[in-house]
Amino acid sequence: MKYKLPSGKYYCRGCIGLGRASEGNWLIRLPATDRFEKRKNDGLTWQGKLTPLQQEISDQLVLNFREKKSSLVHAVTGAGKTEMLFQLIATCLSQGKRACIATPRIDVVNELYPRFQAAFAQIEIGKYHGREYKEPGLEQLTICTTHQLMKFYQAFDLLVIDEVDSFPYVGNAELHFAAKNAVKNTGMRAYLTATPTNDLLQEVKKGTIQLLKLNRRFHGGLLPVPKEKLFIKPFLNKRQQIHPALLTEIKKVILSKHPLLIFVPRIEEIPTYLKTLQDKLKMKELKMAGVHAQDPQRLEKVQAFRERKLDVLLTTTILERGVTFKNVWVIIIAADDAIYTTASLVQIAGRVGRAQEDPTGLVLYCYHRYTKNIRTSIKQIREMNK
Amino acid sequence: MRTCLLCEQEFVPPIYFAPIFSFKQSRSTRICSHCLQKFQKLTGNYCSFCHKEMDQGLVCLDCKKWQQMYPNNVLHNHALYHYNLAFHDLMVAYKRRGDYVLREVLQELCYEYLIKTDYDYYVPVPTSPEHQDRRQFDTIFAVYGDILPLTPLLKKKTGSHAQGEKNKQERLKTPQSFFIDSAVELDESIKTGKILILDDIYTTGRTLYHARDCLRRDFPKAKIESFSICR
Repeated sequence: MKYKLPSGKYYCRGCIGLGRASEGNWLIRLPATDRFEKRKNDGLTWQGKLTPLQQEISDQLVLNFREKKSSLVHAVTGAGKTEMLFQLIATCLSQGKRACIATPRIDVVNELYPRFQAAFAQIEIGKYHGREYKEPGLEQLTICTTHQLMKFYQAFDLLVIDEVDSFPYVGNAELHFAAKNAVKNTGMRAYLTATPTNDLLQEVKKGTIQLLKLNRRFHGGLLPVPKEKLFIKPFLNKRQQIHPALLTEIKKVILSKHPLLIFVPRIEEIPTYLKTLQDKLKMKELKMAGVHAQDPQRLEKVQAFRERKLDVLLTTTILERGVTFKNVWVIIIAADDAIYTTASLVQIAGRVGRAQEDPTGLVLYCYHRYTKNIRTSIKQIREMNK
Repeated sequence: MRTCLLCEQEFVPPIYFAPIFSFKQSRSTRICSHCLQKFQKLTGNYCSFCHKEMDQGLVCLDCKKWQQMYPNNVLHNHALYHYNLAFHDLMVAYKRRGDYVLREVLQELCYEYLIKTDYDYYVPVPTSPEHQDRRQFDTIFAVYGDILPLTPLLKKKTGSHAQGEKNKQERLKTPQSFFIDSAVELDESIKTGKILILDDIYTTGRTLYHARDCLRRDFPKAKIESFSICR
């Protein structure tokens, strides 16, 4: 679609958040001329230890960086992807080169930043996303959203894109263009995902990217395979009351003393479910809340759930990835809704069983129609478990 | 399938029977039903002067103050929506970023109401020349110009600051910055006609009162009211 100003000039809606660019504007770009000192100390202050499987991937990434070979890390949810990046980033920094970790989601930037700050205590890290407006600086290590990459031109020797399969990066031509231009011609790219998209797998086939696969979680356990349950009648009836079979499933989880994440497809449904659950469960000491992208108390509620101050959290897909809750079990209501892509379903199932002490758990897909996305997501999880 | 201007997801516009059988050309929907739902209509009890929603009573606190300042001469404002987060985000995208096409979303919100109104003159609240230069369009004119025949009688002096960047006290102290554009050719009828001043948001009322006072000076016998999409 093309959009015009009254003067008849076209303007771009894709990057309008960064300031409107219209026909006749000058865009000036220069390759970055920053120079960083080589250092003996690579800046890595992280003391943890990688599992042998993680170590293998980490070593391969370092080798590929030296040989400038782009890589796709396909690691299951809960494999410990962030830790596998530390050595790669450290190698880049020690050579006096510039690195960037980009991800489509603001929440993931907020989650990654403190972890890298702790792992590279002496390095100044630039953090950029749309809710924290500032002009990009010249930090040697940058963590930002993929949208912010539009502000960089041939700036990085290493570009890591985390959660590369997620909205809005996936299938977005502008963001792919930005990611392409942000790296130097001599730079290396690394893509991280639990559910690789077809275009990346095509590139692997062509040989332009090397595939590194990690099929085990860091604790060595298998991924929980989702259970499916068919519902004939609607989840909420005309009187806004919950399906009794669904209520039974929810009760079972609560009685098992596991914290429960319930995914619903639309924000508007959250208050309705909260109300009917409160009416029907009749458990006074049970604490429930709902959270969605526009919720001003979103961070507080997620934190309360993490600390087990809440027993049940109703959420939209915002909590599908990048978050860890101990011992959590998951129920997806209307897993057949178009909003759940295969990648979303795999990611949601990946919230369960992430802790060493409790590597199993329940993932339940509730559906009316058995969709292709449900089928392929379960197939993918089974394949990764082989 | 169409792409929603706000969430950029594809949607199927709802189909109604009436437009199919009527010869009137209907406007095409530009936003999906989920985005449309976020805009909250003003319902229930509201202030009889400025349309602010209230639990009870006839006149809101803001208008009581205006009553003291303008005895028997409080401005009558019509409004349709609540100024909520969804509307705030829309206005930021439209005015601050200059996303011109979003005028169509605003038009969609007020079209049905405005085409049924019957005034002799529709006068848009003008944008300051600086803002117009930067955005390359007049925000109010762009919204209403496609719906109603406008009479751009008012002009704004240069160097006046935007209301959106001030707090309530500063807004209320804003001096008069409008003047009548003498270049606009007018019919004699304006002196006793019905005039509707058009703005986007009514916050304190300061802007609309200034606009009204400015028109009142030249046309003391005209019947002047105002319209804002939000209150």
